Amino acid sequence: MAKSYDAIVVGGGHNGLVNAAYLARAGRRVLVLERRPIVGGAAVTEEVFPGYKFSMFSYVVSLLRPEIIRELDLPGHGLHILPLESTLTPMLNGDYLAAWADHDETRRELYRHSPRDADAYDVYGRLMHHMAQAVKPILAMVPPDPTSLSPRDLAGLLRLGRHMRGLEASHFHALYKLMTMSSADYLDEWFETDVLKATKAASGIIGTFLGPRSPGTAYVLLHHYMGELDGVFRAWGFAKGGTGSVSEAIAGAARRLGAEIRVDAPVARVLVRGGRVTGVALESGEEIRARAVVSGLDPRRTFLELVEPGLLPDDLVGDIRRFKFRGSSGKVNLALDGLPEFTCLPGHGAHLRGAVSISPSLEWVERAYDDAKYGEFSRRPYMDIVIPSLIDPGMAPPGRHVMSIFVQYAPFALNGGWTDQRREAFGDAVIDTVAQFAPNLPSLIRHRQVLTPADIERITGLSEGNIFQGELGLHQLFMLRPAASWARYRTPIRGYYQCGAGTHPGGGIMGASGRLAALEMLKDGA
Amino acid sequence: MSYDAIVIGAGVNGLVTAHYLARAGRRVVVLERAVAPDEAPDAGWVPPAVIKELKLTAHGVRVERPNPWIVAALPDGGRLELFADPARSADAIRRLSSADAARWPEFAARMGRLAAVLEDLYAAPPPDVRSRDPGELLRLAGLALRTRRLGKRTVVDLLRVLPMSVAELLDDWFETDALKGVLAAAGVLHLQQGPRSGGTAFSLLHHHVGSPPGVFRSPRSNLGAVLARLPGVEIRRGAEVARIDVAAGRVRGVTLATGEELVAPIVASSADPRRTVLGMLDAGWLDPEQVAALRHVKCRGVVARVSLACEGVDAGELAVAPSMEYLERAYDDAKYRRVSARPYVEGSLRNGVMDAHVQYTPYRLADGAWDAERRRALGESVMRTLGEHVPELRGKAVVREVLTPLDLEGRYGVTEGHLYHGELTLDQILFMRPVPGWSRYRTSIGGLYLCGAGTHPGGAIAGGPGRNAARVMLQEMPR
Amino acid sequence: MPLNHTPFHPRTAPLCQGQTWRRWAGHLVASSYELVHEREYHAIRNAAALLDVSPLYKYLVTGRDAGRLLDRVVTRNVAACRVGQVLYTPWCDAAGKVQDDGTIARLDETTFRMTSAEPNLRWLSLNASGLDVTVADVSASTAALALQGPTARTILRQLADLDLAGLRYFGIAATTLAGIPVTVSRTGYTGDLGYEIWVDAERAVPLWDTVMAAGDPYGITPCGLLALDVARIEAGLILLDVDYVPAHRALIEDQKSSPYELSLGWAVKLDKETFVGKAALAAEATRGPSWKLVGLETDWDALEALFADVGLPPRLPTAAWRVSVPVYAGGRQVGYATSGCWSPLLKKSLALAHVEAAHGAVGTEVAIEVTVEHRRKRAAARVVPTPFFNPERKRA
Repeated sequence: MAKSYDAIVVGGGHNGLVNAAYLARAGRRVLVLERRPIVGGAAVTEEVFPGYKFSMFSYVVSLLRPEIIRELDLPGHGLHILPLESTLTPMLNGDYLAAWADHDETRRELYRHSPRDADAYDVYGRLMHHMAQAVKPILAMVPPDPTSLSPRDLAGLLRLGRHMRGLEASHFHALYKLMTMSSADYLDEWFETDVLKATKAASGIIGTFLGPRSPGTAYVLLHHYMGELDGVFRAWGFAKGGTGSVSEAIAGAARRLGAEIRVDAPVARVLVRGGRVTGVALESGEEIRARAVVSGLDPRRTFLELVEPGLLPDDLVGDIRRFKFRGSSGKVNLALDGLPEFTCLPGHGAHLRGAVSISPSLEWVERAYDDAKYGEFSRRPYMDIVIPSLIDPGMAPPGRHVMSIFVQYAPFALNGGWTDQRREAFGDAVIDTVAQFAPNLPSLIRHRQVLTPADIERITGLSEGNIFQGELGLHQLFMLRPAASWARYRTPIRGYYQCGAGTHPGGGIMGASGRLAALEMLKDGA
Repeated sequence: MSYDAIVIGAGVNGLVTAHYLARAGRRVVVLERAVAPDEAPDAGWVPPAVIKELKLTAHGVRVERPNPWIVAALPDGGRLELFADPARSADAIRRLSSADAARWPEFAARMGRLAAVLEDLYAAPPPDVRSRDPGELLRLAGLALRTRRLGKRTVVDLLRVLPMSVAELLDDWFETDALKGVLAAAGVLHLQQGPRSGGTAFSLLHHHVGSPPGVFRSPRSNLGAVLARLPGVEIRRGAEVARIDVAAGRVRGVTLATGEELVAPIVASSADPRRTVLGMLDAGWLDPEQVAALRHVKCRGVVARVSLACEGVDAGELAVAPSMEYLERAYDDAKYRRVSARPYVEGSLRNGVMDAHVQYTPYRLADGAWDAERRRALGESVMRTLGEHVPELRGKAVVREVLTPLDLEGRYGVTEGHLYHGELTLDQILFMRPVPGWSRYRTSIGGLYLCGAGTHPGGAIAGGPGRNAARVMLQEMPR
Repeated sequence: MPLNHTPFHPRTAPLCQGQTWRRWAGHLVASSYELVHEREYHAIRNAAALLDVSPLYKYLVTGRDAGRLLDRVVTRNVAACRVGQVLYTPWCDAAGKVQDDGTIARLDETTFRMTSAEPNLRWLSLNASGLDVTVADVSASTAALALQGPTARTILRQLADLDLAGLRYFGIAATTLAGIPVTVSRTGYTGDLGYEIWVDAERAVPLWDTVMAAGDPYGITPCGLLALDVARIEAGLILLDVDYVPAHRALIEDQKSSPYELSLGWAVKLDKETFVGKAALAAEATRGPSWKLVGLETDWDALEALFADVGLPPRLPTAAWRVSVPVYAGGRQVGYATSGCWSPLLKKSLALAHVEAAHGAVGTEVAIEVTVEHRRKRAAARVVPTPFFNPERKRA
């Protein structure tokens, strides 16, 4: 093992792994240092109970960049994304709303709730497609610095401006509305079916400390349609073997390209001398030299823990201290003896192979948010439920199943803190709520794992358990992510870079931050 | 009867538009639905250009800037007063928190700078960010340069603060609940949003425009009364417009409810945009998507005006907003279309009379409609709230009149009782106000303009929309 | 069962020998009933074909302002449509690009039934602002049959208690057929003598049985979409999504078409006070459209020669084709054909094509692409008037 590297990547999350792979691909000697025994960060599959594999934290692959899939040949390293194509929303009156893979089937389903909404759905879908197209280039852009008068930044601002002005007028205005409105208000303009609006709006509040009526939640509605633009690359779905297989595929590609990966190697700090990095020091005391260090950790750890804040400008330190991380998501993973029966649609039909959304009304989701606002977990939470073993049989023993329940809201700063008791009470609230719609669930539970934001922070290192490495509000995005003037993957310390989701384009398993950071590092001669 | 221009509505903006046209030698008639002029003082900052260009000082216009500009009721019965002088405000704040007092001057200065940027923007039609016109591009460049010259910090502040929630902004700066409460209230005025909602920091800045740094409430004036007396324009009261007449895609004039027709090649409506289009026009002349967009303009009235008599009490600009959580909980009720159990109450209490702004009192209620019983209950709730937070009012306040959003709609003709003619949310300002394509006061019908608070720069800017609209109209009217 | 069945499905399903179904507006309809479609086509031209056209979207527009609403939406003059009359018309978005095309039948003073290829409930509702009108989606509750061909009138005469000879081309009347209340319109998609019969979905099956029984001596034949496609091309009739992209579905500007570009300029009444897209269309009328939709006839000798070159007899598909085929003039691509077929009746290779306006005059010589043994060739073709087939009996 060489003692000195071109680059050390701190943190083996998917962005760090992507970063390492691209650097290695360019011929650099790269070392990835991961604190845990496995890589992946929050994209991991673990067999918490023997025979039952859990996608511990993140459970769907969304928006993994097609260029990353291609350039690293991830399918050649085991990545296989299986379709997750339907959504079932049980309603409080015993009925349900479903969205299917086939357009005619979905239209028919919508039509029985509202003929007007069936029409509107098509028009809405087309507009969202255009919106996703308009936004896509921005996702692939390195944000310009809005305060800089340098030619490069001005050119970047001009390019951005040109792109926006090139949009058809109605699309430009629609995009502006999407960026500023609440998902509920936006959807109110299109649809009348409450459960439809609730289901769509719910996807807008995932990982946020906002409710469907909070301005700034509408643009996440685009998420789903951006996946469609990837066309045949079909980056939206369930990874065979669980989300961990995405990380393993990227790690495999990185290794094949020559990168080294060390696990059980927690980094204590980044070594800096004379304003330039010289390497890192592990918690064990071991020091490893490198010409560049890139942090895949969130901005708080990157700027306030891995280095002395005194080495950074006051402005930046203040901005990072103000950068909001309020984790609001929980996860309940279950090992089941059989399949749940949803009262609204009994039987083991196709609907169990998709997602089940516990979002029967806008008021339900908004009240779930109200609880969180005042420091409590939602008594009747919004949940996104998947049964991975039905999509990928290898996730559980034959005839048995695993169920993944993603929950909003569970605030990190819970009144009185996340004690063991409170964790269990939270788990109970989750199970009780699902049982409202699938009464046989409690009797099927063989094992249960409850993960609160405190657990997420403890296990993955994500500050305050925020799954996006920092909230995705407009004032914390793009040119301001994680801070003005420092949104281009660099830091004030020469040779020290950032490549996690705390940079543009933000969270979700995209890998975009890792890749863009690598390309910028290579431009700098790293 | 034939005129050069007809203006619908004798509110401040309508009259400003009318007088600008008259000053340019046009024959103008203003048609006002109400029989008697409105006596209430006008809230809102009057752009100096309006005063100067219409020579209003000579006609007795008075702009009143109360000092202290707010008197916040504190939980222990005390008061927090904030002044035009940041140092004096800092002194007042120091009694509650020395950390907050230390931060106040910088906060005032920085917010003042951002408000100045807005003030710049409000003095003209909204910038057309998609224009290819060299003149407009020059203007945009000028705007960007002037902003940049205010420093990196201001540019970043602008990008960060505008979309933020006022709660997050204030939590970043201060710790005192009462201080944050009265500031946050400006962030939610006339909005169906709470302090934690994005875009409310913009609203905070909007209500700062035109005031000295650190003053977050609009002044009051007698602009409306002065304009009503000003010669040069014919005002017809009790003249309700039933229809704006259109032929071959251009306005021809209007028809009153009595059937009387007035002819003019130019019609400017200061009524709210939804009322103008859905109430006075044949929608067949418009692109259906445009009509839908107008129908979707959010103007959810959440404010009631309650006037009270409080004999012998004189307390200035009183505000009951003890914390941001108080405001947020009041908003929660409105989300579910209920009247706030503990409303936010603010108003000027002088000479034993208070005209209170009460929020949140939604126009549309979940469990029925506004009626006498609910009005009465609201009045009692306001008295109770004042009594709880302002000891000297305990048992003294007597409700004289309750105007719910429904009543405001009836009295002023504003859709859903929204006095700003449309919420000042980020998606309903600048080039989006009232709908894209109509943000420069022109509509898609030749000769028809909008000139009220439903256009840029919106409510609380008395005469701003009226002036901007008039100048656009004059550019396009034949000599 | 994820797709809808039409109300006639109990009768059509057993008849569909090859189980060859197609999707039409979320419904299953037969591509052909017999294993090949040819006899069904010839029934259209020589006897009577019975087609299940229930998947059409149908809207009942009623109320004092029903006519006003429709006049706001469509390009033709609905006010001039008399009770008992049917109009065929396109309608556009505000930029004057075609969104859909269909028929409007005036059932009485304040009642219209509109048909369309795509859902239009939202569009009609959006346009109804300030009007005293009700729009009801009767697509599912109204079943529809088309009876097309030379013996169609004779068949219906057996059943109707109304003198069908009096039903003019594009007229509509209420009547009963063997006691079943229906409306009958003299309309269709085949360019031939024919009728469409509109009935309550609950009476669909008895209606089918009645018409089939009455038509038996006259060669009535259940007919699927493959045969219909050939007939409609012969009639020069366009099909949404095949011959044009509806404006709201277009991803880029070039995909959109105005009525002028679809040679539907005759249906644009610029003297109407207002309708959606009027200003844009008025401007286009002044400067002239850039495109035209024309009929092309491929030269048989040229076609035959291309196949002979590789030692094959000419091989043309019997079903109509819907792929985009380049059209050239002077060595440059000047357009593309979107529908085409071999006409068994006219013994010609026909196509509907979009061409640059300069090449749209009848008689213009062009070349159309033909793939022969995996290689792209070009055959001479000529712009000819449409409809390609226009029999007297259609209007008689």
